[in-house]
Amino acid sequence: MAEKTDILMEKQLKKMRMKRILKRELGAWGFLLPHFFFFVLFIVIPVVYGFVMSFYRWSLLGTTRFVGLDNYVRIWNDSRFWQSVKNTVLFAIISIPLVMAVSMIFALLLKKKWYGKLWLLVAFVSPTFFSSVGVLTTWRWIFSSAPNGLLNYYLTKLGLLKQPISWFETPARAWACIIGVTVWWIIGFSILLYLGALQRIPPEQYEAAKIDGAGPWAQFIHITLPWMRNVLFFDVVRQVLLAFGLFDQVYFFTAGGPAGSTRTMVYYLYMVGFERQQLGRAAAISWYMFIIIFGFALINLFILTKSIRGAEGE
Amino acid sequence: MSKKKNKLLRVIISVALWLFAALWYAPIFWMFSTSLKESTTATSEYPPKWIPDNPTLDNYKRIFAPASGISVSKGIINSLIVSILGTLAGLVVAVPAAYALSRLKFKGKKVVFWSYVAVLAFPGIIFLIPHYFIIYRLGLMDTLAALILPGLGGTFGVFLLRQYMLGIPRELEDAAWIDGCSKLRFLVTIVVPYIKPAMIVLGLMSFLGYWNSFLWPLLVLSSPEKFTLPIALVRFNAGWGDPYRGIGTLMAGAFISVAPVLVIFIVFRKYLMQGIYLGSVGKE
Repeated sequence: MAEKTDILMEKQLKKMRMKRILKRELGAWGFLLPHFFFFVLFIVIPVVYGFVMSFYRWSLLGTTRFVGLDNYVRIWNDSRFWQSVKNTVLFAIISIPLVMAVSMIFALLLKKKWYGKLWLLVAFVSPTFFSSVGVLTTWRWIFSSAPNGLLNYYLTKLGLLKQPISWFETPARAWACIIGVTVWWIIGFSILLYLGALQRIPPEQYEAAKIDGAGPWAQFIHITLPWMRNVLFFDVVRQVLLAFGLFDQVYFFTAGGPAGSTRTMVYYLYMVGFERQQLGRAAAISWYMFIIIFGFALINLFILTKSIRGAEGE
Repeated sequence: MSKKKNKLLRVIISVALWLFAALWYAPIFWMFSTSLKESTTATSEYPPKWIPDNPTLDNYKRIFAPASGISVSKGIINSLIVSILGTLAGLVVAVPAAYALSRLKFKGKKVVFWSYVAVLAFPGIIFLIPHYFIIYRLGLMDTLAALILPGLGGTFGVFLLRQYMLGIPRELEDAAWIDGCSKLRFLVTIVVPYIKPAMIVLGLMSFLGYWNSFLWPLLVLSSPEKFTLPIALVRFNAGWGDPYRGIGTLMAGAFISVAPVLVIFIVFRKYLMQGIYLGSVGKE
């Protein structure tokens, strides 16, 4: 008899527990759901969709037809694609170290106490947050090929140029403009990142090094760089993703010219997908890009995972 | 004596840095200077002048008069709508999600969380074509909603807020439970004030992201009354020497697109610095 009530009570308890768990689950999912809905709609479905699309001949209007690997093969055989890969990789190889080095110099300078330091920070950092239209139309105006284009004017005046030139005319010149403007534009964020990291280096480290007779360069190599290793690593990954996304500068300055020499992968994708409305093939291009960036994506993921584990591991 | 010398050195280097900063900022000055000139003057004057002979606000008047079919003032309004709504909606969905992922227990939490993290490693370009197609299928082509919605699925904000929420002391939560506080009330009255700095940082980054966005609106918008400021400016511009839509007006528009950001930057500079710390959470 007593056993029976025990069982009954246990059942009752189990029921209550189930109810509580259910309530807890529903409650938690209730908090998550609004975001999760958009996550599924605009992240999960697009990834799946993008993958499926890449095997189809697909445009907004007109018929959709399964073509197997045709998109991938055609892109593989398109010399313009490989040129855009080469252009993008070259841009990344030149611009990333340049951006990082310049940012590092500025961060080291801005770490010290200067008069009106805040305004210096505003001058070097704020352009990062300006729109591409604002920044790039202005630079295009500075690069004007007319004699009174700002750059032409000063360079002829200084005697560096004999006559005004057209800045986007040759591949080398066009790239120099794109890279120069990119450095000017995007160092701000890296400067902030590096400043944050520099401020976290304990000053005792430098004092100890000074006592050991280490010069500024030795201090930089043996203290600053090791302490900043993780931030720099993070920034490299960020910059790679940024460099492979290069589009706006090309769109505003050269439209990929002269003769495709500044056409980047995103620009190529834009041409195929939106100027020629071949969405399936453009999706295939984005998967090629994914594969190329995949290594860096993995590194990115690895850093994130480590930092999450670190934050939880306490 | 040496202290005085140090100070002098600091003044000299400071001044040198100011001069360099002024040079660095020259494009922005040049943008503003050109915006005060008639386009015909700007393209023809030789030598180019930093301070205009006859400064005029005509360019600003011109871009606000929708005579050319494309209205920059409408563009500003659209940009503001998209940026503000997008930012607010982003926070409204991200904060509870971050709360669930940091403080609550539920089935599938691990899977959800790690898929959120995995997505952070995906280059954004992967989503461009599918988003375009989904927006088309949802019938949202050429609407402002098309500019806002895709961003709401992003996981960076959730991740950032979650990391910040992990810092909320357990005792605070336990005390709230004992008081019989509901989860929602706990979120609103205790968590939200606690994570305010992170929310401001995220809000600013998100606002700037929407405000500056270019490629996506370029793809989905087609009718002039829907254009955001960047698109309106690109479409607005005709030849450089054109007295109505030339370089002077373009630079006026460019300055208008840059000015609010500069103001935000100056006002919120402290939070931006903080954001960098947050953004590099555990990066060491």
